[in-house]
Formats: sequence, C-alpha cells, structure tokens
Amino acid sequence: MDAKVVEFSNLLRRNGVRVSLAESMEACRALALTGLGERETVRAALRATMIKRGVDLPTYEQLFDLYFSGLGEAIAATTEATRAALGLEAQAFQELLEELRRWLAEQGIELSELARALLAADTGSLERLLRDAAERARLGDIQQGFQEGRFAHAVAAALGMGGLAAELERLAAALAGGGAPPALRAYVERRLQDLGDLVKAMVRAQLDRQDVSRRERQRLDSLAEKSFFYLTEEEIRRMQEAVTRLAQRLRNVISIRRRRARRGRFDSSATLRRNLQYGGVPFRVVFDRKRKDRPQVMVLCDVSDSVRNVSRFMLQFMYSLQDLYAKVRSYIFVAELGEITALFAERDINAAIESALRGELINVYAHSDFGRAFRMFHRDHLAAVNKRTTVIVLGDARNNYNLPHEWVLKDIKQRAKQVIWLNPENRMTWGFGDSEMDRYAPYCTVVEECRNLNQLYRVIDRLVTA
Amino acid sequence: MFASIDDVIERFARLKYIANRTIATVVYLAARLGKPILVEGPAGVGKTELAKVLAGALDRELIRLQCYEGLDEAKALYEWEYAKQLLYTQILKDKISEVVGGARSLREAVDRIAREDDVFFSDRFILPRPLLRAITSEAPCVLLIDEIDKSDSEFEAFLLELLSDFQVSVPELGTLRARQVPLVVLTSNNAREMSDALKRRCLHLYIDFPDRAHELEIVKLKVPGVSERLAAEVVAVVQRIRKLDLKKVPSVSETLDWARALMLLNVESLDHQLVTDTLATILKYEGDIRKAQQELKAHVELQRAKLKGAQPASDKDLLN
Repeated sequence: MDAKVVEFSNLLRRNGVRVSLAESMEACRALALTGLGERETVRAALRATMIKRGVDLPTYEQLFDLYFSGLGEAIAATTEATRAALGLEAQAFQELLEELRRWLAEQGIELSELARALLAADTGSLERLLRDAAERARLGDIQQGFQEGRFAHAVAAALGMGGLAAELERLAAALAGGGAPPALRAYVERRLQDLGDLVKAMVRAQLDRQDVSRRERQRLDSLAEKSFFYLTEEEIRRMQEAVTRLAQRLRNVISIRRRRARRGRFDSSATLRRNLQYGGVPFRVVFDRKRKDRPQVMVLCDVSDSVRNVSRFMLQFMYSLQDLYAKVRSYIFVAELGEITALFAERDINAAIESALRGELINVYAHSDFGRAFRMFHRDHLAAVNKRTTVIVLGDARNNYNLPHEWVLKDIKQRAKQVIWLNPENRMTWGFGDSEMDRYAPYCTVVEECRNLNQLYRVIDRLVTA
Repeated sequence: MFASIDDVIERFARLKYIANRTIATVVYLAARLGKPILVEGPAGVGKTELAKVLAGALDRELIRLQCYEGLDEAKALYEWEYAKQLLYTQILKDKISEVVGGARSLREAVDRIAREDDVFFSDRFILPRPLLRAITSEAPCVLLIDEIDKSDSEFEAFLLELLSDFQVSVPELGTLRARQVPLVVLTSNNAREMSDALKRRCLHLYIDFPDRAHELEIVKLKVPGVSERLAAEVVAVVQRIRKLDLKKVPSVSETLDWARALMLLNVESLDHQLVTDTLATILKYEGDIRKAQQELKAHVELQRAKLKGAQPASDKDLLN
C-alpha cells in the first residue's frame, strides 16, 4: 500500500499539488490506522494528510477517483458484462466456472498464470498481473493522446497476450474436441477480447490522470494572456472567477504588508506610565504604533462601447478595491462623468456592474469625450484629491476629435500622489487616428498597456506595493 | 482514546455533535497520530464546537487560546510576574542584605546575588498562559487555538516548534517538554492563508455547511421539542437562502437560533408574513434581508400551492 501512496503523491505533485515527503509518510501511517476497507474513509484520510490548500481540493478529488477507482472495479465490471452477454444468472455463471475448472483438471491441462486468472475471473490476481505489466511497459511515461495505441501494445506485450491467444486457441480446440458444453467454449473465446479491452481501458485511465490539471493549468494560463477584446461568453465567466481570486490574493498581501509596518519607534512617555506599577523600573517597553497609511484611490473608468469588455473587469476590480481600501471613489464616464461609489457600496457586484453598464447613471451610448468628462471631474471632485491619492484612469483615449483638455490632468497630477493611466489598446496604435494618448501621457506618472489579465495583475501589484 | 472511527461518531453524538464520516476520520487520525488538526471553513459551522466536544468526548480539560492581531508570546505562553518579584525583593530585603552582608567588594556581592538568582526565575514567579499550561498539564488535555488566522505571521512561526515537537523554550528555564502530548485543534476562518510550514504539521479538515438532511438532523438534536414539519421548513428556507449571493450567509448556529425563536412564538408552520418578521434572526444586513424576502415570497407561495394542490384553490381555477 505504501508504494501506492507514494505513487499517488507523485501523481499529485505532477498535477501541481504540493505534497511533502513528511506528508506522504503521514498518509501511510494514517492508512495503516484506518485500514483500506472503506473508500470514503481512505479518501478522508488521504485528504486530511496530503491536501492542505483549498484550491487543490478539486484536483485531489478528480485524481483520487481516477487513481483509486481502480482497475479492480473495471475487471469486475468486465466479467459482469461477459456473464450478461452469455445470458447466465450469477449462480449459473459460478457453476460454469466450476465446470471449467473440473474439466481442466480431468484433462490434465496446466494453464499459464495469466490464463488461469483470466478464466477463473480472479479479480485480485488479474489486477496484479495487469499492474505488473503496466510497470514493465513504463505506462507512467505516457504523455499524449496519440501514444495510446503504442502503450496499449507495449502493455499487451509485457502481459504476454500473444502467448495467451495461442494458449486459449488450443484450449478452445481441445474443448471442441473433448465434447465440452458450447457455453464453455463461448466463454473462453470471449475472455481474450475482455482482456484486450481491459488493457485499453487501463491505458486510457492513465492518460486521463496525467492530463487532469495540465489541461486546467494551460486553460488558465492562456486565459491570462488572452486579450480582453476577444473573450467568449464562457471565458468572461471564468475570467470573473480569476479576477475575484486575484483580488483575494491582493487582500492577503496587503494585510501582511500592513502588519509588518505596525511597530514604530520607542515611546518614552507611554513607557514611563506603563511602568509606574513596577516602581518606575522599565520592565515593559512601549513602542509607537505607526499610523496606518490609508491609501486613497480614485478610479475613472471609460465605459464607452469601444472598451466595454475591459471596463467590465475593471469595474469588477474597482468593486474589489472598494472592499479592500477604506477610501476608494469610483467614477464612470463616456461623455459625462458619474460617481458609482454609492452604487458599489449598496449593491452586490453583478447588480452594480450591470446597472453601471446599462446606463442608469450616465448615458453610455454617447460618443466618448474625455475632455468633457475630465472637466466635470475638475469642477466637482478635484477638492477630494490630495497628496495621498492615487488616481487611476482607464480608457483608450479615443476622443472623437473633441478637445482633449489635458490641463485638467496636469492639475490633478500636481495635487495627487500619482496618476496611472491604463490603456486597453495595443501600444502600437496609441496616438494614431483620434487617440489622444500622446497628449495625456506627459501628465501621468505611469502609462501602461492593460490588455489582459497578466498585465492587469502587474499594474495592480505595483499599485498595492506603492 | 477512540477505538475506531465509529467510536468517534458515537461519542460525539452522545454530546449532541453530529460528525460526518470525514470529520470523524480526521479526529480519529489526529488522536491516534498525535497530530494537530487545522479546521477551516465558513463562520458558524461548528469549528470551535468541535474542539469542545472533543474535550468532552475524551473527558479532558479544554485549554483555549483566542488569537487576535498583536497576540505575542507573553500573552500566549508565559510571563514573569514582575510585580510579585518586586514585592518579594522588598519583603526579603533583610535576607538579601544578610546574603550580601559579609561581602568585601561590589563584585563579590554581585556574585553572591547571582548564585541565588534562580530563586527569582523559577516556577514560582512564572505566570503560565494557555500554551504553557497545555504543555505542563499533568493530565492530557485538548488545546484549542481559536482563529489562528487573526494572529500575526510571527506568532504562527512561533507555534511551529510547539506543534511539531510539543516543546517550548523559556530562556531562563530551558526547554520544557510536554508531559502529556495535548490534542491540538486550530481553527481558521481563512482571513489569510496559513503558511505551508504550519499546514504541513497539521491534519487538514475543511468543514462546509451541512446538506439538508444533515442540517435537519442537527436542528432536531439541538432544539428539543421542535416539530418535524417546522424543522424541515426552517432548514429548507435556510438552505435556499444560502444559495443567494449575500454579504453574510446564515450559519448553522443561526438556523438553530431561528428554530428556537419560532418555537418560542409557538409556530407550527411558516408563512410569508412570519418569515418576513423573523428573518432578522438569520440575516444581519439590510440588503441581504431585502434580497431574501423577494426570493422567499416565491418559495412560500409555491409551497402553499403544493399543499393545496389536492383541492383547487378557488372557483376560478375550476373554471379554468
């Protein structure tokens, strides 16, 4: 069993789950205690000892099913199918096997181990033989779907299927000659086919194991690099999960960073006061608590048609930010500006984004006019910008040849800690046509291309670190 | 000690805690392997309760350490009783001057004092906090480290020595080994991810909200005298509410509160008005309540229609 646990933990590792040596040893000890009688108990024991992160759970469940759903069951199922195909009841089938055994003994025919296990429907021995053969054929090395046939052949060869076929043929001939009942002959002929099916099924199952989370990982990776503009419905849904996870991760990072900065300088007066009870002897030293730096973020998000896909994720991120920081103010704009901070605070994430994009706050079907929106911001909200404020603008800077009014940005930059502009367009196209990016860029601290999840993550990470 | 997994389930049931097979397996393994259990899961699914019941089932003392931001060794492990030490030195002034009495030089006096200083750093002046108590306890105990995610990562690192070797180092006294290995239960609400080092030392248990049948069982066990019908309806409604996208989903303890409240009101069966009036016992945000009300209105009416299904609701239905 220990060998199986080691193999299983290798499988987990190959699929991106971290399992330490200590943990797989622990799993062996746990199984020695619980025994292998009950599937659910084994599942719980292995999970408790080897799986420590919530994210690994789905992979574990899948792999557990694949790995332990075992060959034994598949063999039993095949035997069962054969019995049904022969049209026999369980009782009659047992009698048939018994008859075969008797007949072999009478004729003095000595079968090979494989043939004996196969014909006696001995699940245990058959499983062992198959596993041995799989190991000799290095089935564990299988990587790709197209190798399936090759490995099936290798396993069959290692198992000795060629010899078995000849052996069973001779046996069938002997049965025919020896006047055995026809059911017996039909059974013997069928079993060879069964074994071939089992080998194929085993190879397929092995391939599935290798693949489970490689596919999953590739899917997520490619998603992270895919441009926001070309996402399908399904991908949008998955992307939302990814953004939420990203926000969760940031939350952890932030809370750690805040805590590290907590301890401040020596506070002499508080120390004196605290130690009065000890007669002024400074047993306990008191430090200042550092004032928590509460970053303020103001986000201006373009929600015009041209960047609709991106703004959805950006809005989602703004929503998460608002949970994260005490002071976040969120605005959306097309040709006019509207504040959605309150909307985010009141409603849940999807309802808030839906109503923001539906145009309840501002007309979202107008033509983008960055200049006008900026002027509105300047008029109504500039007072809220101070030296701790980070201002983030998300938009493609395609201004429909309206006045850009870049002086607003200049004013904002003078007052704010930093101005970050995220542009969902390819950097190559900035400044062409009606893009005013080149005019705005000098008044931004950072201008970043933000076309996919990875880029968004980098930007946000920098924002949090700052 | 537990004889088998079924023994765990049985003993827990006697203490009115319904443990499913997974929980029981992990508890059994932890008890037999002497490993800590790290319990994670949403608030109010009985994580802390698990430790309490475990102590009850094994008839051991429960020592509890509540974690919070800024918790340090002095609060968790031990502290010297400075005031007591000072008091003793004051009272024993005469004795001390006697010890120092014949000294010819300052150096000699200090040497003499130094020879006696372990009097002041001995068990007498140590103030044991939960962790030290768990380690030095004569009888085996259950140590509950509650909401470990609220503590700082430095404290988490400090716990590592304790959790793997069951020993702690006190500079003045040396290393203290556990006389009896305590059974440790750590709970976490996942406010932050615990470090891999800590996780590696623990058995991991994730407790989620129970399914309908399971929760019904819990309600019937914990709220004696509740009618079968009311319990079923309460659980059905709560399970439904949990599927909504809420700020805070109702926990098991809130289901129990609600069932108890309805019992007090002598309610036999839920209707829309009643649900609306008492929803505040399970939902704690205004927005959540509003959302749940809309959802439940449809649900309760459906139930009613089903009940009346046998006879047509009105003449109008007959005509149609």
